[in-house]
Amino acid sequence: MTVAEGPEVAAHLGGLESIWDEGMRDAYAFYGVRAGQEVALAAAMVEAALDLQHLGATAPDPARLLLGDLCLARASRLLAATRDTHLQIGFARAVERVAAAAAGGPPARPLRELLTAAIGEAG
Amino acid sequence: MIAARRLELPTSRPTEFVDITARLQDQVTAAGLREGRLHLQSLHTTLGLALNENEPLLLQDLEATLERLAPRDVSYGHDDLCRRADAGADEPLNGHAHSRALLLLPACTLLVEGGRLVLGRWQAVFAVELDGPRWRQLAMQLDGDFLPAAPGDSSDRDLVEMELARQLMVDPVPVREPMRRLVEAGGKRIRPLLAMLAARVGPSRDPARAAALAAAIELIHNATLVHDDYVDDSATRRGLPTVAAREGGSRAVAIGDYYFAKATRIIAELGVPDVTATIASAVEAICLSQMDDVRLRGSYPGDYAMYLRVVRGKTASLFAAACKAGAQLSAAPPSLVERLDRFGDLLGVAFQMSDDLLDYSATSGKPLGQDIRQRTLSLPLIYATEDRHRGGRVRELLAGPLEEDDVREVQTLVVASGALERVGKQARSVAAAAQRELQGVDRDGVRPALADLARSAVDRTR
Repeated sequence: MTVAEGPEVAAHLGGLESIWDEGMRDAYAFYGVRAGQEVALAAAMVEAALDLQHLGATAPDPARLLLGDLCLARASRLLAATRDTHLQIGFARAVERVAAAAAGGPPARPLRELLTAAIGEAG
Repeated sequence: MIAARRLELPTSRPTEFVDITARLQDQVTAAGLREGRLHLQSLHTTLGLALNENEPLLLQDLEATLERLAPRDVSYGHDDLCRRADAGADEPLNGHAHSRALLLLPACTLLVEGGRLVLGRWQAVFAVELDGPRWRQLAMQLDGDFLPAAPGDSSDRDLVEMELARQLMVDPVPVREPMRRLVEAGGKRIRPLLAMLAARVGPSRDPARAAALAAAIELIHNATLVHDDYVDDSATRRGLPTVAAREGGSRAVAIGDYYFAKATRIIAELGVPDVTATIASAVEAICLSQMDDVRLRGSYPGDYAMYLRVVRGKTASLFAAACKAGAQLSAAPPSLVERLDRFGDLLGVAFQMSDDLLDYSATSGKPLGQDIRQRTLSLPLIYATEDRHRGGRVRELLAGPLEEDDVREVQTLVVASGALERVGKQARSVAAAAQRELQGVDRDGVRPALADLARSAVDRTR
């Protein structure tokens, strides 16, 4: 965690500090120019979750699965705090599509594309 | 009155005695049958029924007897497919199985008194697979005197079931089918019923919206079970193979994620930010506790403070959130919302204590000693380690690799230590404290219905 991200981000990372440098930081930077801090962090956490859980690939190590679950839950709480229903629905649909595809359902667009679209539509 | 049901079960071996006693008792309880009969009928020509003792060596004897009386390796006309006009390409060679079915019951009637199946001490009810493994179905009718429907009971339950079915119906098959099997395999539906009842305490009452919230909460619960079973490497859940065991770990992870996201969306679509926030916080608490639980297995069996911390997060948080979110959905005043939140929290703790006891019950449907094998935090174990005479040996066994003999010895020591009675007493005491929180929740019979749920949570066999 660098100073640049600030204490606001650190406050939401409890229990997830170990994975900040595993791509979450970059994802946060990507979404940060498209959305507010908390929404960008939520999007980065959703990406991190599905990465940790190897969605659509090999089964993950149980500890990584739990960490991924925590990322999804934390993202959900951050989105709840925005009280923006459209955004919450857009994010949920993105995860539904990617997860269904990973389970053998219809193919889905890449997660980042879906989340970016959800942010755009809500904004 | 007569209630008709179907019981589905998978079998895993060519010949298998599947103990369905606990599932039948659940059906009796769920239907509210007090005095009457349960009629059971096999819907297959190679699946029989039997009443006998569930003792592993005896079951081997019975299997051997069937083999002696109708051996697999002798000639059966039924298996001479060249002589049969009706035989398809996939016709199984199962003359022996049909012959064995003659030796078993195709149907039976069980008496019910005081809401309980009337069975002798050693009697268990078996579905006997003779040509497995297969998916099997039993038809069931319950007739007699039923409990009058309590407020918020049967109609709420029906609404929840309908909403769950409606939600699952629109999902892609690869995620829907495993979840449908898990949801239909049972589950007590306590969390959704809490939400339905709590959604009546405020001025804004809409059963359809309450059912949407309730179904979403049940989906979250089931999604966490799918992931938990993968983490714990569990083979069965509710008498069926777990999603991970049947579909593989990778798909199980995706299915859990799908339903977590879907439930989140259903709740967001209700458009009540406080409800969304309540459920989101509860899900986060569950995840943190699940991680805590896995971490604490290093200091197994732990102590009461650890136990309470994990249980509050893993179990009680969703009970409390179901109550709180239901009340928020109905626009109940904050004081009532808080009361129901506390009720749910206490009820969740009592429920988990009672659930821990089922690890020592042969008829609960849960594999005996599973918590010990998986090193799950469990209050009977914690209390048994405090026993002056047996605690040392329990700790010593739990510190080792835990072979099956060790698991059995731990169980015996726990029973002998009196820990089960202590936990049972404590569960009832916590449930009573939960009921005291219901003072002032007296709208339209909601309070007695919630009190009934609290009692049933600690007085259960499954």
